[in-house]
Amino acid sequence: MNKETKTYRKGEIPGIIAINTRECKGCDACKRFCPTGAITGMFGATHRVDADLCISCGQCLVNCPFGAPYETVDPVEQVAAKLADKRTTVVGIIAPAVRVAIGEPFGMPVGSLVTGKMYSAMKKAGFVILDNNFAADLTIMEEGTEFIQRARHALFGEKAEHGGEIGPLPQFTSCCPAWVRFVETNYPALIPNLSSAKSPQQMAGAVAKTYGAAQVFKAAPESVYTVGIMPCTAKKFEASRPEFQSAWHFMKEKGGAASSAPYPDIDAVLTTRDLARLLKKMKINLAAENDAEGGTLFAEYTGAGTIFGNTGGVMEAALRTAYVVLTGTPLARLEFEAVRGLKGVKSADVTLRDQKYGKDVTVKVAVVHDIRANIRPIVEEVMAGRSPYHFIEVMNCPGGCINGGGQPICDTGSSWIGRVLPSFAWS
Amino acid sequence: MSKNDPSHEFMESPFSLSRREFIAIGGVIIALLALPAVWVRSALINRNHHIQARTKGLYRDDATAKIRLSHENQAVMRLYRDFAGKPLSPVSEELLHTKYINRMKALS
Repeated sequence: MNKETKTYRKGEIPGIIAINTRECKGCDACKRFCPTGAITGMFGATHRVDADLCISCGQCLVNCPFGAPYETVDPVEQVAAKLADKRTTVVGIIAPAVRVAIGEPFGMPVGSLVTGKMYSAMKKAGFVILDNNFAADLTIMEEGTEFIQRARHALFGEKAEHGGEIGPLPQFTSCCPAWVRFVETNYPALIPNLSSAKSPQQMAGAVAKTYGAAQVFKAAPESVYTVGIMPCTAKKFEASRPEFQSAWHFMKEKGGAASSAPYPDIDAVLTTRDLARLLKKMKINLAAENDAEGGTLFAEYTGAGTIFGNTGGVMEAALRTAYVVLTGTPLARLEFEAVRGLKGVKSADVTLRDQKYGKDVTVKVAVVHDIRANIRPIVEEVMAGRSPYHFIEVMNCPGGCINGGGQPICDTGSSWIGRVLPSFAWS
Repeated sequence: MSKNDPSHEFMESPFSLSRREFIAIGGVIIALLALPAVWVRSALINRNHHIQARTKGLYRDDATAKIRLSHENQAVMRLYRDFAGKPLSPVSEELLHTKYINRMKALS
């Protein structure tokens, strides 16, 4: 990227997604998937990505019939070098949606759940496992508690325990880095509504280099190398945000190893496709592996953490925990069918009794995916102060992270030309 | 040669379709015409196949999990007990929470 970009700070990677002008046929397919209109170029002419508008979601990349968009950041070599270096502890932070997609590049059917095989292959490659589902559970604790605090503040005037400010309702989820950047570049007035909780990836990085380094990996934080393995291209951007050096700041304040150079919470991000390339480079066939256990404390996860990869999953997981915390009684039925499925905007009312205040509360929640098609009416409502909702989950990609921009490209999408072309004689 | 030699008589070829034959042939032609429409339709139905298959995979992971509630994750509880205290504690605020910036200023 030699063009000057305005919406990035120093240190951030501008323009994760670019279009290969040799491959682009100007067919405009990508424009129909771009949530922000960042792709410019007339029909028939080669297209370009405007990095200032781009939120790095990668939907153009997985949906281009010609495979023209590509990622400008490729950390596979760098991670391979760190894996070969025996002095570093390389922590693989595996997102929920990776386990249902990583089988595809190894010839397994679409949607195969291969958690055990993935653990085994990654351990063989030299990773220590930190399942991001663990961090997803941690996110629920933080984000759910934050929501309860906001709701009690709005309804009963409760004050923050440490005297901090309490944000307004509705609370938006903040797990999706493309959505966070979408708010920052398009609707900055809604920033107070975003949950202050970090995304699971960044929580995992901060925990791995503080508590994890000391208690679990028994290594100096400088020698812990954290690799996010994500279904997402925007996570590469997120990891480069300068404020995400919180582990370094924390260790410096505590006085441990104070003199070291600043290190980021997440050192590198691999997409699901990148991980498949790395494993193939190391000649590991994931499909032939036997099931293995994660083997560390951080590999422990719950069903609530794993559904984070689906649209509606964060909401469902948060409701399960918030219900128990508020009412003090366990849920009779864990599945919230109302927030599942592929409808553009799903909403549900949950009535529960707040045992602390002894009052019935009706929580209205909404789940939005596919920002391009569905987000505008929701945010306009919130901006106008007419929103009926208290808690809104937003994921950029249609279907959630499982269809993210970093996932293996499926022939069943619109990327079908690569498969059809070889059957013609002239190509 | 007689005047009525049949080899010199003009006669139209006796092509005739019964009502049944006409319907049958018409049906075959329409079926052939409809094939591309069927292909396009099945391609459209399969478009979201990968989304649905992967979604199902994750819900299966949830349904078969031993623990299905975040606050029952023992590793998370241990992290709070040994290190962070509780959700929204000062340590949590420092390590697990963040701030956002207004990027619109730069654009205008």
